[in-house]
Amino acid sequence: MFTANPTLMLVATFLPVLGALVLLLVPKDQRRTFEIGSLLLMIASLLLSLPFWFGYDRSSDAVQWFMAVDWIPALGVKFAVGMDGISLLLWLLTTFIGPIAVACSFKSIEERHKEYYIWLLVLQTAMLGVFITQDMFLFYLFWEVMLVPMYFLIGIWGGPQKLYAAIKLFLYTLAGSVLMLVAILAIYFLQHKATGSYNFSLASFQQMAPIIAQQSKTYQHLMALAFFVGFAIKVPMFPFHTWLPDAHVQAPTAGSVILAAILLKMGTYGFVRFLLPILPTATKELMPWFIALALIGIIYGALVAMIQKDMKKLVAYSSVSHLGLCMLGLFALNPYGIKGGLFQMINHGISTSGLFLAVGIVYERRHTRMIADFGGLSKTMPVYATIFMIMTMSSIGLPLLNGFIGEGVILMGSFQAFPWAAVVATLGIILGAAYMLWMFQRVMFGPITAVNEKMDDLSLREILYFAPLVAAAFWIGLYPKPIMDVMDAPVRKLVTQVNPDFFIAESLAAKQAEAAKLGMQGMAAPAHHEAAPAGHEAAAEGHAAHEAPAHETAAHGGGH
Amino acid sequence: MTGFAQGLLDALLRDTHLIVPQLFLMAVATLMLWPGDLFFNRNEKHKWAPITLVVLAVTAVLITKTTDGEGFSRMFRVDGLTRGFQMLCVLAAAGTVALSVKLLDALKQHTVEYYALILFSVAGMLFLCGASDLISVYFSIELMAISIYILVAYLRDRATSVEAGMKYFLLGAFSSGILVYGISLLYGAGGGITTNLEDLNRALALTPTTSSLLVYAGVLMVLVGMAFKVAAVPFHMWAPDAYEGAPTPITAFMATAPKAAALAAFLRVFGTGFHGVSSDWVLPLTYIAGASMILGNVAAVRQESMKRLLAYSSIAHVGYMLLGVLSGDPKAGAQAVWLYMLIYIVMNTGAFAVVIYLQAKNEGERIEDFKGLGRKHPVLAFAMMVFLLSLAGIPPLVGFFGKFYLFKLAIEQGYVTLTVIALLTSTVSAYYYLGVVKEMYFKEPEGEAAPLGAAQLFIVTLACILVLVGTAFGPWLLKWAGEIFWV
Repeated sequence: MFTANPTLMLVATFLPVLGALVLLLVPKDQRRTFEIGSLLLMIASLLLSLPFWFGYDRSSDAVQWFMAVDWIPALGVKFAVGMDGISLLLWLLTTFIGPIAVACSFKSIEERHKEYYIWLLVLQTAMLGVFITQDMFLFYLFWEVMLVPMYFLIGIWGGPQKLYAAIKLFLYTLAGSVLMLVAILAIYFLQHKATGSYNFSLASFQQMAPIIAQQSKTYQHLMALAFFVGFAIKVPMFPFHTWLPDAHVQAPTAGSVILAAILLKMGTYGFVRFLLPILPTATKELMPWFIALALIGIIYGALVAMIQKDMKKLVAYSSVSHLGLCMLGLFALNPYGIKGGLFQMINHGISTSGLFLAVGIVYERRHTRMIADFGGLSKTMPVYATIFMIMTMSSIGLPLLNGFIGEGVILMGSFQAFPWAAVVATLGIILGAAYMLWMFQRVMFGPITAVNEKMDDLSLREILYFAPLVAAAFWIGLYPKPIMDVMDAPVRKLVTQVNPDFFIAESLAAKQAEAAKLGMQGMAAPAHHEAAPAGHEAAAEGHAAHEAPAHETAAHGGGH
Repeated sequence: MTGFAQGLLDALLRDTHLIVPQLFLMAVATLMLWPGDLFFNRNEKHKWAPITLVVLAVTAVLITKTTDGEGFSRMFRVDGLTRGFQMLCVLAAAGTVALSVKLLDALKQHTVEYYALILFSVAGMLFLCGASDLISVYFSIELMAISIYILVAYLRDRATSVEAGMKYFLLGAFSSGILVYGISLLYGAGGGITTNLEDLNRALALTPTTSSLLVYAGVLMVLVGMAFKVAAVPFHMWAPDAYEGAPTPITAFMATAPKAAALAAFLRVFGTGFHGVSSDWVLPLTYIAGASMILGNVAAVRQESMKRLLAYSSIAHVGYMLLGVLSGDPKAGAQAVWLYMLIYIVMNTGAFAVVIYLQAKNEGERIEDFKGLGRKHPVLAFAMMVFLLSLAGIPPLVGFFGKFYLFKLAIEQGYVTLTVIALLTSTVSAYYYLGVVKEMYFKEPEGEAAPLGAAQLFIVTLACILVLVGTAFGPWLLKWAGEIFWV
């Protein structure tokens, strides 16, 4: 009955907001109705999204379940939706996080329940919409509309500095996105000049890459910077990150979870979907700057996280560091780097939301998040300590858990592209282990105070919303292949678009290897050009540990 | 002599059909003052409001029935531009009248003159939308403005209202003087033969280079005069005071209707009359537009009075709309301005409706008065939030669509820097609009919630729905805008 098709995709996307409209009619003192109702809506949306995981054709790099309806023909605006592997993963991550965000709010939200759950549902649809849209106009619409519910979630249910944090988040992101709008329009007109048609479709924008590459340097760089700033604010990359600690610390737990798991991924997704394929030349020219910012983010985020006294702030700054690592992977512009970056986006979504939930648990019980106020919690809250431990380990990249795979693949990719940057990034990972473990130690071990002794361990509800995160962390850590498979074809396509030299060099290397094996015979066969990437693909599918040697050959053979 | 009279009569018979809506309005307004005023006693004056609404509806129908053409010695013409902007003026006036009833009741200030003056000023606006000669531009502006001067000072026992009227009148008269002086210079520079816009355009093209300074001065003076009328920076000084002092429905009126008419004149005068000498006015107008966006939005940030906030924001919105006047493609520019103005009228009237509602209970003047509105009146607060976010240009609300269409045109015409300024300052505008949202939703309410009047609720809800779903109906909006053209 529920097979993956465009209609089901739209239903899963818009179900939360439609449900919110129904909840609007419920009287506001029906607290339970809002809690259970929105949880059921989120779960329904999650269940409806599952067929897409199974129905996705992993061999194709095309946009699947594509559907386009004319909306404003005079401007070339279409209501166009569809997903490829990259969007699919983030879309599924969003439906996955949705129920958790609702479930963690039951106790912590003590006033204005109706508005809270309605905003949460609206936000969910807006985020899901961003990942399925295939039209720039529609994308911009969803992208901006997200801000409004987030503004309210922070502004009404946030901490003491909520007003400041909410407006800061709103203005920062808005300023970034209006610049992006200018760039979108500029490319739209360039396209009209080149092809004679007005069109906002994503595919046509990506096809503009060669024409944009013929424009003046200044034009290209300005376009790339406009997109870059828009997305970098969202990621956030250093030095555009200052809104993040404020927003995270002030937001209610669910807000932090959504911010960390999904909203930040919008930025990285924007890089993958828009900046890299539309402006490959300019991106490569500006790459040293981008990489420098990513590296500064990694180290700076880690160092600042280390000195934090507030647990939530610590996790927030760790996001700056981790996202810097994702960006480094993406900027490597080779399959390992981009796959690793995308993979780490999923991992960060899982581990950081787990950590924010964990901080939320103690905050609900003690109304403080200061590390110094805790200690010895493992004695009274063993279940909590275990889960916190798993999430910490996942975040610092312990083998068997998800973070390890992502960091490993990113480092391989970035090492292939720019070895020195990978070395610096490794330092960030070490620092990451240091601040996370140090926090864990201070909170969980040591002498326990009288107040903390009275704290209850996790309730069943709390265990239930942590369970999927823990399961996902182990599943991805032990068997990452399915996820790698989903993004394989689209990443190959992206690398071909952005960095075609990579595959040429790679196939040349494969040819040379072949030639060495078979004598001079191998030189004659052009078919090897096809065969080489296929072989590479097979290598990429393997476990990361197996990949390293294969990858080393490719890198060395690639003439680096 | 009989020949002249005969000619005059012929001309009148031939051309009168062009100005039927205006004649209808003026006739009705005159009859309302006498003998109409005798129909209702002192306590029944509010009955004029529905009658005025009917009159405006009939005017709208009459406007759609007019045929394209030019008349009265080519002083007035009817074309798509005229009709489109005339409809906007009528729409804005209808909103104002509907909003006036409750407030005037509360103030016990109902008189027939109030409604008659609105109709007179609308007649002036309808003339202005189609004025195709500098002289008729001037006359129409005066007819429109004099009625509004009186309306601003309508609450004659309130010092602020009288002061606002006086200020508006003095500066308005002053700017009219500059306008007339500019017209006279251009008349001279063009050889003293014409003030008709098309003829003047041709004549100015033929002026010897020795009189280029004369042309420049004339064009600039007309620009200054018109900039005063739309309250563009640096000729905006009168606006915040006048807006604050005027009765609030009149503030809503001033922010929309006269600006729609003046922008129509702006488009026609600069797009037709000064088309050939665009090098003289494009740069100054660029600065005026940019300064309006920046100053309007930045100054609004510090306001504590809601009406002043909306006044400054309307200065910024005029700045955006001037982008359309600057367009090298006058037709596309006019369409973008029209579309923006239509959307602006709906969202602005909606926002003022909420302010007026609060004001009927002696609140709403200050932004503080919005405290906790989200609790007291969820519907009203939600609608206000929608209007404010739409004014800020947050998608998918229709305000975004208007901005998108306008800025798209500006980028196409190469005004990239100006568009970036517009977009960044609109981010600033999000700050102060959200400041009001903050009061409504993030602060606890004080005092009791009074019941909501049905009429206001209707206007607010209607405007709110239009703003919410407007973008989905983009194709229709663009189709209407497509009918805005002139030759």
